[in-house]
Amino acid sequence: MGLKDKYAIVGVGYTPQGRVPGRTALSFYVEACANAIKDAGLGRQDIDGLICYRHFQPASGEREVTPYVVAQQLGLAPKYLSQEANCARSQLHHALGVLEAGLCNYVVVAYADNALSSDRIPDETNPENSVFGQFGYPASYAMAARRAMHTFHTGPETWKMIAVGQRQWASLNPLAMMRDRPLTFENYYSSKWVVEPFRVSDCCLVSDGGRAYIVTSVERARDLSHQPAVIIGIGQHNPSSYIDQSTYMAGPTGAKIAGEMALKMAGINLEDIDACEIYDCFTYTVEVTLQDYGFFGLGEGQDWFKYGTITPGGRLPVNTSGGLLSEAYFMGLTPLTEAAMQLMGRCGDRQLGAKTNTKEPEIILCSDNGATLQTHSCTILRRF
Amino acid sequence: MAYEKPLPQPNADTRPFWDGCKEHQLRFQKCRDCGHVRWPPSIICPRCYSSEVEWMVASGEGKVYTFVVYHYAYHKAFENDLPYITAIVELEEGPHILTNIVGCSSDEVRCDMPVKVAWEDVTEEFSLPKFKPAQND
Repeated sequence: MGLKDKYAIVGVGYTPQGRVPGRTALSFYVEACANAIKDAGLGRQDIDGLICYRHFQPASGEREVTPYVVAQQLGLAPKYLSQEANCARSQLHHALGVLEAGLCNYVVVAYADNALSSDRIPDETNPENSVFGQFGYPASYAMAARRAMHTFHTGPETWKMIAVGQRQWASLNPLAMMRDRPLTFENYYSSKWVVEPFRVSDCCLVSDGGRAYIVTSVERARDLSHQPAVIIGIGQHNPSSYIDQSTYMAGPTGAKIAGEMALKMAGINLEDIDACEIYDCFTYTVEVTLQDYGFFGLGEGQDWFKYGTITPGGRLPVNTSGGLLSEAYFMGLTPLTEAAMQLMGRCGDRQLGAKTNTKEPEIILCSDNGATLQTHSCTILRRF
Repeated sequence: MAYEKPLPQPNADTRPFWDGCKEHQLRFQKCRDCGHVRWPPSIICPRCYSSEVEWMVASGEGKVYTFVVYHYAYHKAFENDLPYITAIVELEEGPHILTNIVGCSSDEVRCDMPVKVAWEDVTEEFSLPKFKPAQND
């Protein structure tokens, strides 16, 4: 298919992250975008597309972050602006669409928030559900995880290996919120229940900060600062039902079809993948996503994760920054930007290859999913 | 004491359901063309797009599709209920609804466990369809 090898991620923007009080969400957006633009070796006059992830309710005294406000503060007048409203994960697809259509040459994709330090309490609750005391995403993903425990062989025995494995990666990442907080299987079991069957250690972090990346054509990428991370496959599938009505809680989620699409576009098999960066809002999300991509059969995760498969030194590293569980929460940008940085060879102590006793990364598969398994996007990148 | 938990906020689509609850009836839309029983309510049938619809009364019997146990109260009014169980019940007629499991401890709940509706009259205006183990009669 036509998009393979045509476009690439060429710059990544970070900000201070973790607990960073006294800052607006907008300030993190602007800083992340500016850093991505500079990182790529571009200037503001080059940027002609800006795509933002959704923004949650603003903290008191702040306005909702919209892409035109971000553009204003960056001194941009883009030819394409968009923002996803509620957890569809189409940002990269939009970027590739406007590049392919010739409408834009360099697109920034960004997400930021001040979720940890601001006074904002996200209210995502359906009024029909709050009547019964059902609140928030931990509970709705826990519903899915419980059904999976019933349908196939899974549970804390599997999830602990995901939580602990990712924490080991975080210990190598100076930016990771949990870098100095080692996690053992014992600590995992003693961490508090949030909504059973999920413990605190099964749940992603809440973070202040932002993240952004720049996407452009491989042709244009040749003139820029870094060796680009080339996009070779994309796929998306959105089963859409509210989780309350869904029958795919235990899979197949959107990952199955999205993964097949991306692999087909890339012309590769799962055996060609050197590492994965998986959207890990909860430990179970990592398991069901890898299972639906086909890395192991139904319920075989418990064996597959054993003996450090995904950890430093493992045969298929997963979430090498620490991920949303142990690095910081920036939606699908945490996994996707980590893949790009790994393929650019810019990951310091956690760099895949000899440094972490893992395969030199040629191809990395990434996922992003939204709402409660309702939307799913898969992206495969390769080293230039 | 005043009821402090959130109450239903009926809208044009859901009002017939909550009106039914007040009379201890679980009412769902049924497609007159293909027979599909749907929840949440919708202007058309998601299977065949027919807008021909009638409201039917479900038996109130079903089984636990999945459930979770709250050990932390996201809303103050639920603090005294901890640990409490929210569940998705698969009704005999097909729809899945979110509810609470009452009348048994969190250790006793299982997926696929048979349950039946247990009405809780929380205010003059609203009754909530909760579910209890079917063998508890």
